[in-house]
Amino acid sequence: MRKFLFLLLLAPLLFSSDLRTEQKIYQLVIHSLVPKKELVKVWCDDDKKRKILNTLNGINSVDSAENADILLISKKENLQKKGMKFVTSYQLLEGKEIDILGGFFWQKGRPNILFLKNSLQKYNITLPESMQDYVEDEL
Amino acid sequence: MKPIKQIYMLLFLSMIIAISYLFYSTKNIQTTLNNNVESIFIEGAKSFAYNIDAEIKKHIKSDPYRELKENPQLQNRMQHALSILADDTFKYIFVLYKDKHGNYRYLLDGSKDKAHFNQRLSVDKELWNKVYSQHTPLLIHQNQLDNLWLTYLLPVVLDNETKAIIAIDFSTALPNNIYTAIEPLNQIFIYIFVAIGLLIMILIYQSLLSIRIKKDSITDPLTLAYNRNYLRDFLKTTDIGKYQIMMIDIDHFKKVNDNYGHKAGDYILSSTAQIIQKEIREDDVFIRFGGEEFLVFIKKTNKDTQLAYAIAQRIRTKIEISQFSFESKDIRITLSIGIACQPEQFKNTSLAIKHADKMLYVAKREGRNQVISHINEDYKELETHKKSINDVKEALEEDRVICFYQAIYSTKTDQVIKYEALVRIEEKDGSITLPFEFLETIMYTNIYNDMTQCVLNRVFKEIKRIKMDISVNLNFSDILDNKIFNLIIDELESNKEFSSWLVIELLEYELLEEISIIQKRLLQIKEYGVKIAIDDFGSGYSNYSIFKQLPIDILKIDGSLIKDIDHSDTSYKITSSIVTLAQELGIKTVAEFVHSKAVLQSVKKLPIDEVQGFYLAKPSPNIL
Repeated sequence: MRKFLFLLLLAPLLFSSDLRTEQKIYQLVIHSLVPKKELVKVWCDDDKKRKILNTLNGINSVDSAENADILLISKKENLQKKGMKFVTSYQLLEGKEIDILGGFFWQKGRPNILFLKNSLQKYNITLPESMQDYVEDEL
Repeated sequence: MKPIKQIYMLLFLSMIIAISYLFYSTKNIQTTLNNNVESIFIEGAKSFAYNIDAEIKKHIKSDPYRELKENPQLQNRMQHALSILADDTFKYIFVLYKDKHGNYRYLLDGSKDKAHFNQRLSVDKELWNKVYSQHTPLLIHQNQLDNLWLTYLLPVVLDNETKAIIAIDFSTALPNNIYTAIEPLNQIFIYIFVAIGLLIMILIYQSLLSIRIKKDSITDPLTLAYNRNYLRDFLKTTDIGKYQIMMIDIDHFKKVNDNYGHKAGDYILSSTAQIIQKEIREDDVFIRFGGEEFLVFIKKTNKDTQLAYAIAQRIRTKIEISQFSFESKDIRITLSIGIACQPEQFKNTSLAIKHADKMLYVAKREGRNQVISHINEDYKELETHKKSINDVKEALEEDRVICFYQAIYSTKTDQVIKYEALVRIEEKDGSITLPFEFLETIMYTNIYNDMTQCVLNRVFKEIKRIKMDISVNLNFSDILDNKIFNLIIDELESNKEFSSWLVIELLEYELLEEISIIQKRLLQIKEYGVKIAIDDFGSGYSNYSIFKQLPIDILKIDGSLIKDIDHSDTSYKITSSIVTLAQELGIKTVAEFVHSKAVLQSVKKLPIDEVQGFYLAKPSPNIL
């Protein structure tokens, strides 16, 4: 029931094309980074992002970072947490943490995705062909 | 459709067309306004872009990436220049170059959320590459992005090669402002269209309701047959020549109501109607005419002139073999049906229906549970001289229904001992109309009852005056009819002291199927001293059992025997035997139709008590 009410409140937002774009990108990116799991556990430190994650198939938002398959980080202080990280701003990418696999953020009103080659290699992740274009050797 | 409805419809359509035109015009103005504003700002963006292009070309010779990377001061100065141009409308102003991998990266960024030099930006590569390869500007409508409206791209061409692209993004603030300004107008149109939609829905609902009400108003709720309202419309709009008319009546329906109750009566009516509906075709029209009477218009076919008769027989048989069960009581009924096969031969539909009703009456008289139709008679001729019900009604209202009196003489004293009252209508021109011209028409109507009452009143008035016997003619069916019987009793009750001078003559050819009721009622009448006579005895329907069953005082021998009694030995002998029988039973005899002296002399040879005829006295309006 709560989920239904949430969806009802979110309904006007669902008509927004930016939100739809964001949903599609997270769905694609998270499953590309954790391809072996049908249900990927994601820890997220941003309420808005968490709500978006809850609308996605095969993605479960968890409360504990330790139990997560991947961390979706919006706050700098959470970069210290252990585990695979995916960030939501370019500034966080600049920290050059080895565990940061990449980021998705909006710039100039456009969606931007970046994957960092070294981090992908550390975790032995091979992205699908369609995502290869977004891999950067370095910032 | 009536003209007023057409006018309403025209006005309504005009209103919708006018509103639609206004809506279209407003939309057109909105589009034109958008285009004009768009073109003004595009021109502004172009001007900015060309100035930036000129500034870049002023400071950079051939390789923007290398030269800006090596000269951060130039980079900062130019970025500052770009940032001055950026405002709420031109949201982002930046310059990108294409790296060796085909990705676009920042050279300069004049926006507030400034990106780093060489930072990658995801763009629509297909369109940007087009600008790169063709060295021509491009305007992109950003339909997929929420915060961007337009992007203007201008290539920076150095040495005949595009080295970078100047991008100016228009925010959606401007179209949003235009939209916000015009939105109330759009909302007004939405409300108008919603109101029109609701109005149309209400009109549709009203129309459906009206159809339903109309249907209810023309349908009998009990039998689901059409009612008289529908009949009226049907007769107005239909060529009756295309149909045969069937009048159906449930035999002894009153008994069903009396014995089983009105609910059972309703059940019988609805069940009978259902059976009739099943037996007729879709083209036929089924109407509840009133009470237990139904009218069916059978659509004629070219082949079968007896179609209505065949269908009527089918209905009659079906009802006869059906067993109706109500509250575990089995009820059986029969139908009498009269048919008018050629309604077009009548002057009007009303006469055709009346004819079917007459055929129904014949069916009733012939013993019920049968179908009667006449096909090849000249009905027009039959109806020509008949009075209408309205004529008779008018005569009653104008007191032109009168009695003629024919004297009846005693054979012993040759004196007048009584009179026979004979009903007549005095026409406005003074002429006299005889009963055969109107009695049949009004039979079984309220007018007949009124006429019976009128005759009894006149007769009692004469009895009071002359204090002699006066006879009136009635049918056995009158005695059986509750209304007429009660009317007779009421008249007798009101004229108790004179009722012993009243003689009621009953036509003996009437079918005596309910003899016990007649017997009971005649005895009740006789309690007032009234004498009962059988009229026209010996006319062909003679049944000697009536002497045993009915309290008869007088026997009037039929004129067909008397008129040639002077020269027909057979008539004389038959009359003689009737008189002998009557004498032995203590019943008085009257010889009618005494039209000559010879007949009178022959009659007097027999022990007949009374004589009557034109030779002795013609019917006269006054008793002297």
